[in-house]
Amino acid sequence: MKLYRFDRSQELFARATKVTPSGISGNKNPAFAVPGSFPYYAERGSGCRYWDVDGNEYIDYLAGYGPIVLGYNDPVVDAAAEAQRKLGAAFNHPTPRAVELAEKMVSLIQGMDWAAFGKNGSDVTAYAVQTAREHTQRRKILKARGAYHGSQSWCRSGLGGLIETDYEHVLDFTWNDATEVEDLFKRHDGDVAGVIITPYHHPAFGDQVLPKPGFLQDLRAICDRYGAALILDDVRAGFRLDLRGSHVHFGFQPDLTCYCKAIANGYSVAACCGTETMKPAASRVFFTGTFYTSAVEQAAALACLAELEKRNAVDHMMAMGRRLMEGLGKLAEARGLQVTLSGPPSIPFMTFTNEKNFRRSQRFSGEAARRGVLLHPHHNWFLMQSHTEADIDRTLDVADTCFGIVKKEFGG
Amino acid sequence: MGLPILEKVGLDGNPPVRERVRASMHLHAVLGSLPHLVRLDPEGARLARGIGDVALEFRVFAGPRVVLEFRGGSVQVRQEGGSDVGIFFPSCQALNRMFDGEKVTPIPFKFRGIGSLRALQRFPAMTDRLTHLLKPTREALEDPSFRARHVEISLLVGLAAVSSLLENDPRVKQRVGPALHHGSIQYEVPGVFAVHVLLEPRGIRVGAGPLGDPATTITIRDVDLALGLLQGTVDTFAANGSGDIRASGDLHLADEFNQVFERVGFYLK
Repeated sequence: MKLYRFDRSQELFARATKVTPSGISGNKNPAFAVPGSFPYYAERGSGCRYWDVDGNEYIDYLAGYGPIVLGYNDPVVDAAAEAQRKLGAAFNHPTPRAVELAEKMVSLIQGMDWAAFGKNGSDVTAYAVQTAREHTQRRKILKARGAYHGSQSWCRSGLGGLIETDYEHVLDFTWNDATEVEDLFKRHDGDVAGVIITPYHHPAFGDQVLPKPGFLQDLRAICDRYGAALILDDVRAGFRLDLRGSHVHFGFQPDLTCYCKAIANGYSVAACCGTETMKPAASRVFFTGTFYTSAVEQAAALACLAELEKRNAVDHMMAMGRRLMEGLGKLAEARGLQVTLSGPPSIPFMTFTNEKNFRRSQRFSGEAARRGVLLHPHHNWFLMQSHTEADIDRTLDVADTCFGIVKKEFGG
Repeated sequence: MGLPILEKVGLDGNPPVRERVRASMHLHAVLGSLPHLVRLDPEGARLARGIGDVALEFRVFAGPRVVLEFRGGSVQVRQEGGSDVGIFFPSCQALNRMFDGEKVTPIPFKFRGIGSLRALQRFPAMTDRLTHLLKPTREALEDPSFRARHVEISLLVGLAAVSSLLENDPRVKQRVGPALHHGSIQYEVPGVFAVHVLLEPRGIRVGAGPLGDPATTITIRDVDLALGLLQGTVDTFAANGSGDIRASGDLHLADEFNQVFERVGFYLK
């Protein structure tokens, strides 16, 4: 087959670097994937297929880094959004869609009594943290080392643009180590406002790690013991493990939960949900943005959540993910390669076992992209409801070729 | 009239962070590159032979210390051990002013033999040569061979300066230090040179030459591109996107390291 080229992507990126800092900011910068063997700019999508600006077609497992949960341009969601658009997108006031979506979230997300909306995951994780601080009148927030909770100052890694006071009250613990969490509570007695966690650990540049049996329940007990809030950042995993929230999948109950990505199949909505106990504090936190009440996206979210239920999407994504993971495992083994497949099947990831420098992963992903399958070398993948068995099987055909290339270049 | 001591020494008794970082960079990264000057530059090698066998110490009050050991025309840099002749600077600021080109008279504090005096007399020619290589004239840069040497030694100085930041800037130390995992990064211009950084439990080591199996490899297309990157006339992101720079391997390590590396320019010009 003719291997893909990315000339137009590269041309656009060269232009972008002249007018945009770093060309493309954050995790969508080419440097995060496989520069030269990965698309930089999108043209269009349909179902689980995605076309870049060079006209290359892919079976996509990045799903816009999560939001595309049904499939690109889902007709039902788009029709709901379009119907609202004809009425108007942004107004002086919220529309009934805001109330309907809050009611939907309260009825859908287990244990939650209210919902407030923003646009991106960072909006709502920051709001949840502020709500926990307001509720407890304490300062410290505990988070797992390496966990990503957004790009705001309180949780962003690195140095750029940050000062000490941005992060001095945010403390790290080791994922799956409840003892370390309790030690931090003891060390900062009376000053820990909350613990923020993802439902399982999904760092970039690493295998995904599921919670040890009892870990999340231990965190719940510790928070109860010390009067702190337990915040679930379900932005990445939400609606791919259990529509009632990933806490139901893992059997624990948070005080606050955060959603974004998959809530509206690509339309920009984020939600923070909370228990009745947290509601007074949440009301005292000033939480707003010009587009937080935009109705088109909220209409899309209502349609997306309804379709996820109607199409039994989580079970389907789990089944397709299992088919993908099992297939990749068998193909790698047949080639004499060792791979680690981690995470829940609907949000899988693959690394080459015992390889810390990702060279095999980069070659594998780069070759797959040049053959029409988008599998990220450093970031977890996402299944969509529109992936079919035929898509998975085609993916495995490409993967087999790519495993062969890896084997030839790197040996075992 | 202010109180000079409060300008020279911070309220906690230490020099201000910026001065401490710069002093460390000047001694450990800039003077620390003299072995590379000797390796890369025939004139630098000739000057080193002329200095003789002597251990020359630079010491800064409440600041860094380094010993340059000249033996048979080679130079070794060490933090520990004795010396034959020493030069003392009363403050980090005094040392930094000298590196900025201001006239500063350091205080010799140790002499061991006549060779020490000769070394002190001849050493400035060596630093002049280093300056020539690190801050070249436009004419000098027209020579491709010189250009390659300038790029290589400048890169080595910049990489070595990371260590000074990590050790002396509390914010960098606290924020990036614990996250920086161990590994190795190789920077290469194919067919011209390779330099590397080893991030180890004991600290950071910078060296010339390729590694057998670096965790991360940063391949820069050619010397001119590398020069443009150093001079800030080439956009790093654009070069990465076009494939003029290719990063492979543990990009997380490179990203963590780069958070500090890109700040060296705040201190060293």
